[in-house]
Amino acid sequence: MPFGPTPRPAARVAHRRELNRMLRIGQEEMERFFEGLVASLQAKGVACAITSGMACVEFGVAPSTKDCDVLCAIDAADEVRRTLDATSLRGARCGYRSHLSAPLDPRWLGGGWTSHFAWRVGDEEAVLDVFGVAPRGSVRWDLEHKGLYASPHTVAEMKRTDRPKDWPFASALGVKLIEAGDPRGWLHIFDIDVLQALAGRIPVPTEIIAGRPVLGLLVAGDERLEKALEGEVKFWQRLDRVRMRIYHDAVRPYAAALNRDPQADAPELGVQHACRVRHAECLLAINPMRTYGLERLIAEAKEQAAALAPAGALAWLPDVRNNFTGLAE
Amino acid sequence: MTVEQASPEWLTPEVRDHLREVAYAYHVRVFGEEMARVNFLPRAQRKAYLHDMIDHARSKGVRFEKEALGVSR
Repeated sequence: MPFGPTPRPAARVAHRRELNRMLRIGQEEMERFFEGLVASLQAKGVACAITSGMACVEFGVAPSTKDCDVLCAIDAADEVRRTLDATSLRGARCGYRSHLSAPLDPRWLGGGWTSHFAWRVGDEEAVLDVFGVAPRGSVRWDLEHKGLYASPHTVAEMKRTDRPKDWPFASALGVKLIEAGDPRGWLHIFDIDVLQALAGRIPVPTEIIAGRPVLGLLVAGDERLEKALEGEVKFWQRLDRVRMRIYHDAVRPYAAALNRDPQADAPELGVQHACRVRHAECLLAINPMRTYGLERLIAEAKEQAAALAPAGALAWLPDVRNNFTGLAE
Repeated sequence: MTVEQASPEWLTPEVRDHLREVAYAYHVRVFGEEMARVNFLPRAQRKAYLHDMIDHARSKGVRFEKEALGVSR
């Protein structure tokens, strides 16, 4: 029984389990909560959109995901934070989720950092990540999102991560885009069978081939296509790996300072935030990517990919500088 | 703001059918038969299935939370 007199020690585990079962937030409730949050931000005029896993579910390319990732306009960071502070879930208030989380402030949001939040209900957490720059985004996400969700093009670009498990979602979204008549879908398909099955029936525009040279091999029926695709994927994966490392290295002194500061875990979001800003201003580089240098990042990723991909596989790589708009210049 | 794509000439009903066949075969290959079926369900049914699946997995102790690293993949 969940309520009543304090149970004897032997029954406490079962008691707690039953309480947790009752408190458990269903996925439907979780989604409604996040969609409501984004809708209320949009109603205030804040450009924001749900992306990643929840967006994939919306588009019919479903991963198992519970968390919510939201892109928001960089200059709206303060409004987003105020809204999070005022939004409760079953009475639970919002708080920062980690000492690695950058403050939700336009400066760091614009530098490619992510702010992590959670609402804790018993043993449950509703988890939200907020970022302003879509990783690898080549277009302004705020100009083409659909309702509450980022566009499939933006979501697919974000799926070019260092994790092999993300790539089938990119390819599946690429097919979705072509089904919708958007030729940019060709930029996202990394499966040779799918590419070849589509190429016989659907034209590949020349400007799309220019943006992704490997498609030239597809159109020409060149047998080096498979090798080139492998090289392309390895390159994107290493690009993401190096990018992540740049941010991991940059966050360490800041996270160490938060570990020593009890205000980092104060109950109030406002206090947590002020603490993070105070330490970030001293210890957290606003844009570590810019400091590191995009050309250096690309060169390093190429060097690492060359060691992993078949010989000659990197001869058809795309120019990825456009995928770091806002971070590199 | 949203971008609406005009339907291009090449997107004929036959091409749409072909795309759907290719997409379904790909989903079966990479996500498995069950998830391919789910992905091609109407939105409401798809979401209901996934909600049940995630709730069931969580009730069995599966944890879905990803790490908070300060930067997103």
